[in-house]
Amino acid sequence: MSNYFYVAPEQLIRDRAEFAQKGIARGRSIVGAIYETGVVMVAENPSASLFKISEVYDRIAFAGVGKYNEFDRLREAGIRWADGTGFTYSRGDVDARALANYYAQHLGDMFTEGQKPLEVEILVAQLGNRIRPTKLYRIAYEGTISDEPRFAVLGGDAETIKARFAASEDSLEPLTTTLKNAVAALAGPDRTIDVGDLEVGILEDRGDRRTFLRLHDDQVSELLR
Amino acid sequence: MGLPLFSASDDPGPSFFHFAQSAGLTSPTSSGTALSPHATTVIAVRYDEGVVMVGDRQATGNYIASRDVRKIEPADRFTALAISGTAARGIEFIRMAQLSFEHYEKMTDTALSLEGKANYLSPIIQRNNLTSPLLVLPLLAGWDSSHQTGRIFEYDGAGGCYERLDFATIGSGTPFAENTLRLGFSAGLDRDAALTLGALAIYEAGDNDPSTGGPDFVRNIFPMMVTISSEGFQELANEDVGERFRVINERRTQSGGVAGGSLR
Repeated sequence: MSNYFYVAPEQLIRDRAEFAQKGIARGRSIVGAIYETGVVMVAENPSASLFKISEVYDRIAFAGVGKYNEFDRLREAGIRWADGTGFTYSRGDVDARALANYYAQHLGDMFTEGQKPLEVEILVAQLGNRIRPTKLYRIAYEGTISDEPRFAVLGGDAETIKARFAASEDSLEPLTTTLKNAVAALAGPDRTIDVGDLEVGILEDRGDRRTFLRLHDDQVSELLR
Repeated sequence: MGLPLFSASDDPGPSFFHFAQSAGLTSPTSSGTALSPHATTVIAVRYDEGVVMVGDRQATGNYIASRDVRKIEPADRFTALAISGTAARGIEFIRMAQLSFEHYEKMTDTALSLEGKANYLSPIIQRNNLTSPLLVLPLLAGWDSSHQTGRIFEYDGAGGCYERLDFATIGSGTPFAENTLRLGFSAGLDRDAALTLGALAIYEAGDNDPSTGGPDFVRNIFPMMVTISSEGFQELANEDVGERFRVINERRTQSGGVAGGSLR
């Protein structure tokens, strides 16, 4: 014979949120920021092959923090969604907002109905053109989607890093300045992050259809000089 | 389309084609007998630093459907794909191949090898050709960066993939183009010699096959000429191509339409 205990919905939500936050806080953070001519994403990531930042489509990039297997599955789903949508309609019809909404719905569903909430936070960035704006969409573990005007910070220490970055940059800057500010914000006043432990991806027009570029360590060192 | 999430056991992996099949995005197989515009000649010739490809521009149904079709397209920066057969299926096939290579690269963060690309296309061709009368036969050429050489892959109707070390042709003008290449090819041609030979092969095909378009001096439309080398896919400018065909045409005019006893 089993006993059923009543759990208030407020309590249930609180427990789930706490669980997800704990999981996310274990990983390192990511800064995504708009600079003069593009969007940069900077992650602290000691691995040189398990990436947190990825190309999704011609003008869309993805970044995820938290449990790797969970956000990597979301990354793959995003690439499939984008390539499938572009194949069905046209490349110009692939929109980051639509993708961000799908992510938000899925994370929201998993938070309320899943066995456990996903322990991830993700960022969908879009480089603008004549018909679409440059955008950063941040999607939290419970499905909250926010449209960040200039920069977004994901991960455990988000509030502190956000404050540091906001204090250092108040207008659009060139890539080298924004990257320096992002790395300084991630590191904090008491430590420096080795270039080998940084993962940097940008979205920028270089005359090609595909605008995503993963920066190598030497390119990052050059920009940080 | 919603967010395509899969469990680990039925995940289609980095293959766009298999994902597209599971999502119902690929063309249905059919058993009709309708034939849309087809017929073509495209050749590929290996040279010392890559591959030259030349293709005619005409789409033929019961009469000429189009005079400026592009039958050679970059599948990615270092790979070219040419099509012969049904235009509609050929165009879909090129889109599928382009997207598949890019999809693989994004999913895995590594580029597919040239041989991997060639093999990947086999089942797609097989699926189309064995289930539909709307045949498509492609030709793949690319720069193999791991072996630092240009390579050519041709296919048979059942999707069989064969590497050619010298040259390959597809389309209805094959007998004429292939004979020209057979007589004129030698290993280690340089770029210019390969371009000249390729142009001559297409000229011959256009001259003898009613479904292959030759140089069109009236409309200034010429066959497409491309090279694939360590520099990537490069298409020759229309004026450059026009000049090469004008030279051949001049010679032929002087000799009264025959090759004049030599391969030129």
